[in-house]
Amino acid sequence: MAYSVNVAIEAPIENQIQEISYDGTEVYQQPLSMSESLSKLAAKIDFGKGQEEKEEKPNEKQEDEAAAKDPAAYQSSLWPWDSVRNKLKNALTEVCVLSDVLAIAKEKRYLVLDPVPQDPPEIKAMVTVYARKKALGGAAAVLLTGAERLRTSQSELVRNRSVPDFHLELLQLRKNWRLKKVGNSIIGDVSYRTAGSKFAQSGMFEVSKAEEDTPSNWSPPPPQSPNAGPAPPKTPSALRVTLPSELQGVAFIEVHCRKDDEALFSTTVTSASLNTAGPMPDMHWQKKLEAAQNVLFCKELFNQLAKEAVQLPGPIPHMVVGNQIVASILPGIQLIIGLRHSTSSNSKKSSGPPQQKKSDHDHVLEHSIHQLLREVHHKNTHHPFPHPSSGPLGPSKQRCLAGPTAVDRHELTEMSKSQTLLEQIIEQTQHFTMRRRTEYVLDTIAKEVRDPLIVSHWNSINSPTKACVKVNILTHGYDTICRTLLTIHVGKKSLKCICRDGSVMNMSYEIQELRDLLICQIHQHQITAVQALAKCMGWQLLSNSMHLGVGEVQQMGNASSCILASPIGDRLIAVRCEPQAGVHVSIAHSPRKDFFPSQLVKERKWENLGGSYKEVRWDKMEGKNFLNKMELLMASLTSSS
Amino acid sequence: MMAQPLSSAIDTAFKSNIVPDQEYLLQGSVLDKVVEVLLHRLRGLCDNVDSGPEPFQDHEMCFTIRTTPTPLNLRVRRALDHQEMPWQLRYIGQPEYGDKMRPTIIRSSIDIGCSATVVEFLTELGCRMEFEYIARGYMFRKGRMKITVSKVFKMNQNKSQESMEPLSESYLVELSVLAPRGQDAIAEDMRSFAEQLRPLVNLDKVDFKRLVHGPP
Repeated sequence: MAYSVNVAIEAPIENQIQEISYDGTEVYQQPLSMSESLSKLAAKIDFGKGQEEKEEKPNEKQEDEAAAKDPAAYQSSLWPWDSVRNKLKNALTEVCVLSDVLAIAKEKRYLVLDPVPQDPPEIKAMVTVYARKKALGGAAAVLLTGAERLRTSQSELVRNRSVPDFHLELLQLRKNWRLKKVGNSIIGDVSYRTAGSKFAQSGMFEVSKAEEDTPSNWSPPPPQSPNAGPAPPKTPSALRVTLPSELQGVAFIEVHCRKDDEALFSTTVTSASLNTAGPMPDMHWQKKLEAAQNVLFCKELFNQLAKEAVQLPGPIPHMVVGNQIVASILPGIQLIIGLRHSTSSNSKKSSGPPQQKKSDHDHVLEHSIHQLLREVHHKNTHHPFPHPSSGPLGPSKQRCLAGPTAVDRHELTEMSKSQTLLEQIIEQTQHFTMRRRTEYVLDTIAKEVRDPLIVSHWNSINSPTKACVKVNILTHGYDTICRTLLTIHVGKKSLKCICRDGSVMNMSYEIQELRDLLICQIHQHQITAVQALAKCMGWQLLSNSMHLGVGEVQQMGNASSCILASPIGDRLIAVRCEPQAGVHVSIAHSPRKDFFPSQLVKERKWENLGGSYKEVRWDKMEGKNFLNKMELLMASLTSSS
Repeated sequence: MMAQPLSSAIDTAFKSNIVPDQEYLLQGSVLDKVVEVLLHRLRGLCDNVDSGPEPFQDHEMCFTIRTTPTPLNLRVRRALDHQEMPWQLRYIGQPEYGDKMRPTIIRSSIDIGCSATVVEFLTELGCRMEFEYIARGYMFRKGRMKITVSKVFKMNQNKSQESMEPLSESYLVELSVLAPRGQDAIAEDMRSFAEQLRPLVNLDKVDFKRLVHGPP
């Protein structure tokens, strides 16, 4: 392009050479005259050029022939305009024919014009297939190289997993814990303050990047204790969590119930995993923070309890000595709450004893002691909303109603009273002790007394300070005839027993009272059962006394008795039930079948007054239990008549 | 005998500035269409995500009594959905808008719980009911701040709950704190909280007098 040269194109001035003679002279053609030149140019006009492409083939052929003839025609020079005239004539003929055809076609009688279906341009299928194949191949190659590159980078990442990303871990940490940036350092908080805690001690920790050389420290995995359960992830962390010294280690709250210097039960408030895992210096940060949070929680709990123990007035003041609170629950029983905090330095020393005591670990008390502080936290954050909505936030519904309902000073002070945590724990422990004692008494009595059977059902629905047990006294095989139901409400320091007859017995925490009551009830059951059996057997009840005034004085309760007569009245059975001595059964015949007149009783009629009773040797009687024996006895006495 | 020490106790309480009688207030409104978005955001921002928004439905009556120089306004409010709760009689003072630097409106607010006969009592005193309406919506809590999102309905003559006629196609949003005098730190907290709601609702010091008298 840069070397383009301008070329001038013009007709040569010289005339065309017509011929060169042998001697070399050139004979020039005479230049054309104006008319000649016009006719020549006219002959050159291609009249077929303007015609449309639709023109039929014969036309073109004709023209070609005409064109072929043209030079000859010109050369023959018949007449210079001849070819032009011929062409125009042909054109006129064609136009006339066309107009005729159109006129006929317009009539639509002899000729109809229809569009000729045009062949679609031929598509070479194979070519497009090949083109597409090639294009797809190119695209696939691009994708494959991209995938390969990703794969290598991924495998590179996997290979470098031993050095985890600090920021990824920080993101993970941020999901579970509160973090904020102060200056150049990242400060976190493990305290429960956002959940309603008002404990003054802060739970701040600092997050920093672990040094590069730390992974080498991790390479020998620290020996894991066999009972640790799921092993904490051993991968080294890029994060380092720095806790203040007072939050390090593992803490738990130990609760003992001591009776005359012996431990009745003990419970440790801590999650089991923390107890077993022990404080490891290179724990995963999640475990470390959880442990620190637990330390803080236990400290708050103990702090609160200690504060209350000092303030709480009681008949026997509670003692706070060091990390231990001693509160008396019931005479002779003390509740000891201790805070155990073991840091890594003295872990061996202090984590030993609680593991021994774990055998009598009480999960219910552990749960409730936890729950008490959680409830306080919940209450601190969940204030009731005012209704109507324009009222101030804060006052409870009771307080809102206090004004319009004209509550007096006494009621207001009652309203403001609330139980402290320690009081609630003491109450729960008292109830726990009472429940244990009741269970013990019921179990031992059921074991001692085989006849009748004692079945106790504990209600599954109970509160931390109230439980209910239903005691069923029945005789095996005769449970449809008679059963004695007792309901015992176990409270905090007392028991309430509702007997079969509707009488209510209030008992103190001294468990012997319950035992005595149950034994009396068992013997009363025997007497009532005998009466019910007698009714079935057709025997008559002559007399019945639940509290018999005769006989030797009982140590506990009164003897009860009844006298039964056979259907025809000739036999008598007397039953006497004593809580201590058991059952005595005597029988008498009246009248006796054989009568021998004596000096004193001369006539037979006196025998109807009834004779002397003879005691049955009860231990020699046939029968599985008391009622069975009674049934057999009655049956034998009835059949003989 | 009790009256004397009690009233003096109230006096000393007022003097030592422990009576929460100042209401810090920011107001705004949001269209019905987008109120769900605002409620969703408030649920996320406010305390107690677990319990959800607290619904309310209140009936408010405004009474005036002719006093010199300006008539005194008293508001009686009751919760329609909590019939057992006491009615509330409330006095709201003139709002102080302050300059641009002050983040919130401050107005004095004194409220007291009362029984249902308060309307009768006020009428006997010579008060006249100016207007009444029903506000229905949700309230939220964030620390000491209370946020209400409510729709104002006209009070029907037949007083049936179903056919309540809304006053507008928008919800009223109020952010308020009741605090003793001089605790301006809370106002800053309110401003920063309002900032967090900014694209959804524009909480501001709304001067109603200017709204009434200014160009529509």
